Amino acid sequence: MANYNIDAEKDLTYDAIVIGSGISGGWAAKELCEKGLKTLVLERGRIVEHIKDYTTAYLDPWDMEYRGAMTPEQKKIHPIGERVGFVGETNQHFYANDLENPYTEVKPFLWVRAHQMGGRSLLWGKQTYRWSDLDFEANAKDGHGVDWPIRYKDIEDWYTYVEKFAGISGDPIGLPQLPDSHFLPPMELNCVEKHVKERLESNFKGRNLIIGRCAHLTEAINGRGKCQFRNRCDRGCPYGAYFSSNSSTLPAAHATGNLTIRPFSIVQSIEYDEAKGKASGVRIIDAETSEEIIYRAKVIFCNASAMSTTQILLNSTSNRFPEGLGNDSGELGHNLMDHTYRIGATGLVDGFEDQYYSGRRPNGIYIPRYVNLKDGPQSDKFVRGFGFQGGGYRQGWGQGTNMEDFGADFKDKIMNPGQWEFFITGFAECLPYHSNRVFLNKEVTDKWGQPTLSVDAEWGENEYALNKQIRSDAKEMLETAGLRDVLDFDNKHEMGYGIHEMGTARMGKDPKTSVLNGTNQVHACKNVFVTDGACMTSSSCVNPSLTYMALTARAADHAVNELNKLNL
Amino acid sequence: MNRREALKKTGLLGGVAAGAPGLLSLLQSCSQQSRSGWVPQFLSEKQAQFISAFVDTILPKTDTPGALDVKTDMFIDLVYAKTLTSEAQEGVKAELDKFDSDCESKYGKSFADLSNEEKRDCLMTHEKETAKFNRGVWGTTVGEQEPVAFYRNLKSMALWGYFSSEEIGKNVLNYDPIPGQYRGCVPVEEIGKIWTL
Repeated sequence: MANYNIDAEKDLTYDAIVIGSGISGGWAAKELCEKGLKTLVLERGRIVEHIKDYTTAYLDPWDMEYRGAMTPEQKKIHPIGERVGFVGETNQHFYANDLENPYTEVKPFLWVRAHQMGGRSLLWGKQTYRWSDLDFEANAKDGHGVDWPIRYKDIEDWYTYVEKFAGISGDPIGLPQLPDSHFLPPMELNCVEKHVKERLESNFKGRNLIIGRCAHLTEAINGRGKCQFRNRCDRGCPYGAYFSSNSSTLPAAHATGNLTIRPFSIVQSIEYDEAKGKASGVRIIDAETSEEIIYRAKVIFCNASAMSTTQILLNSTSNRFPEGLGNDSGELGHNLMDHTYRIGATGLVDGFEDQYYSGRRPNGIYIPRYVNLKDGPQSDKFVRGFGFQGGGYRQGWGQGTNMEDFGADFKDKIMNPGQWEFFITGFAECLPYHSNRVFLNKEVTDKWGQPTLSVDAEWGENEYALNKQIRSDAKEMLETAGLRDVLDFDNKHEMGYGIHEMGTARMGKDPKTSVLNGTNQVHACKNVFVTDGACMTSSSCVNPSLTYMALTARAADHAVNELNKLNL
Repeated sequence: MNRREALKKTGLLGGVAAGAPGLLSLLQSCSQQSRSGWVPQFLSEKQAQFISAFVDTILPKTDTPGALDVKTDMFIDLVYAKTLTSEAQEGVKAELDKFDSDCESKYGKSFADLSNEEKRDCLMTHEKETAKFNRGVWGTTVGEQEPVAFYRNLKSMALWGYFSSEEIGKNVLNYDPIPGQYRGCVPVEEIGKIWTL
């Protein structure tokens, strides 16, 4: 699919350039192409064709010589993936080579990258939740960071718009703090999850346990097939059942005839035209030949992922912008956020020995935020809040590892379903601290001689207070729900582990304190848009990708309107 | 629950990497033969005999195949040979030799030469003395994990090698590569054994 621009001599000028092809870049490409703009997508990695390049999608453990284990050579190029624990033989080809793409951790920070067409949209967790005014008003209310320039009403219709295309399954329950999406049918809770839900909701007024809302199709839509419940999503889905750029937005963009994708294109900087007072194009380095090329366009969308987009902007210096494109405020690179997670509790559930489940559901349960709501219990220990993900399941053969047993009867026993377990793990909002930042590091250069990024960020007191509450609430909820041997935990991970990097080029009302305006345009360079995680002004406690989608579609609409009015 | 699905971890790496080298006390045993036709890639002949006897004691043949039937010992040798750094391999060699030399100190024979009863006695001693893995959430253990000794790591490898084999996966457990739907509450008797995947 798509035209691939592999001939540097031709087609140097487009209507629009999109930097990056992940979740937000794919949306930018789709919207701009559908509105008639000849659009060039610059992707720093290789092409990944939907289905054809999902080379491990059908492999069973025994089809792989080491049954999913990686070789030392594979592990060596994925030290970050190894630290985060999600990389293995079946998906390692979708994780960036960390050795070729170094960054400097001033304080420990995990930066998981995926350098190929589709980016991390191939690997994401697919949990999709709308934000509410509880989130958009949060900064204004408690004074952390700057106020969002938008409110829920500004984005509500755009949520609906992207949901109808992406396909979000879930159960509408009308919570003001977690607005319902335009839903496909929800996935099912299993017996133990239903049991815990009943106990939890009857014991804790104002708390709900719901099936996760996720970007998996429970009905076929838009030419994509429904989920087959194989739970092998991170290998790429041959049915196109989960939302990725590869399965969804890029094919739609291609169908317009307006899309060109140029792989192996490392964006070095955005070119600024001092005379016209706007950006004129994008300078790339060909990752394979190291050739430098400048592409021109009327409008540029930055969707390289939060920190990479900011790296490009910081590296885009000119007389007008000596500290990086759009950095009049000095906020570019600052206010980096993530979500805390891996704090929670897990316990054993007695009974239900005669019940099991079938299918491998790529989804779990969700407990929406219940503290510091507009109406409801307020904490005097922290601002903002948290939600929980989790699930119930029966142990399989792995239970045998810990059993003080072995031999014939043991073997028979662990071939049958084991103990039911149920766990929850919190995701907490992180405040936008000016001191949490990324900056260019010219001492350390990458394979192509370009400055790299340094990350200097850590959790603050508010996050630690949230984590403490998560842990004690998790234990209390599971014990009250009747679970036994409840083990509460805090894995004390560094920032970045949530893989929800947000901020570093925030939206705001005031150009003196923010980088982007209310329609994601760089305040002082309005034909440059940033609609990936970099634009976020606060972090909410819910997963951010759906909001990136909605903001991108909204910004693309604005871009085309402004182009038509000759304002850009 | 799958948040960017964590791989099934075997517990292999933690214990192996932590394995203290040294304490090599090699007592030659001449009575055992390796399994016919098998030339180990990593293990010495004596170590291979130990691994074969070990997996056979953990997962013997019954009316379902045993670990030796599905070549679990050979798989462990392959994993040691191909997925470990040389540093980790050194640790494994030392642990294997220590396990067997401890056995010889106690029983006067290497593990492979023990009677079935002695083998069970030996492993049960390790079962009782060896720390257990904490429960896991999304593929990683939670809470403060006590160091887990070589025995339990090796046991987890035996289970992994056995249950990830095609014979057990396709013909013994419930294999359904494309379920098509999720049903949250199904009577166990409708399904029987655990799902392969």
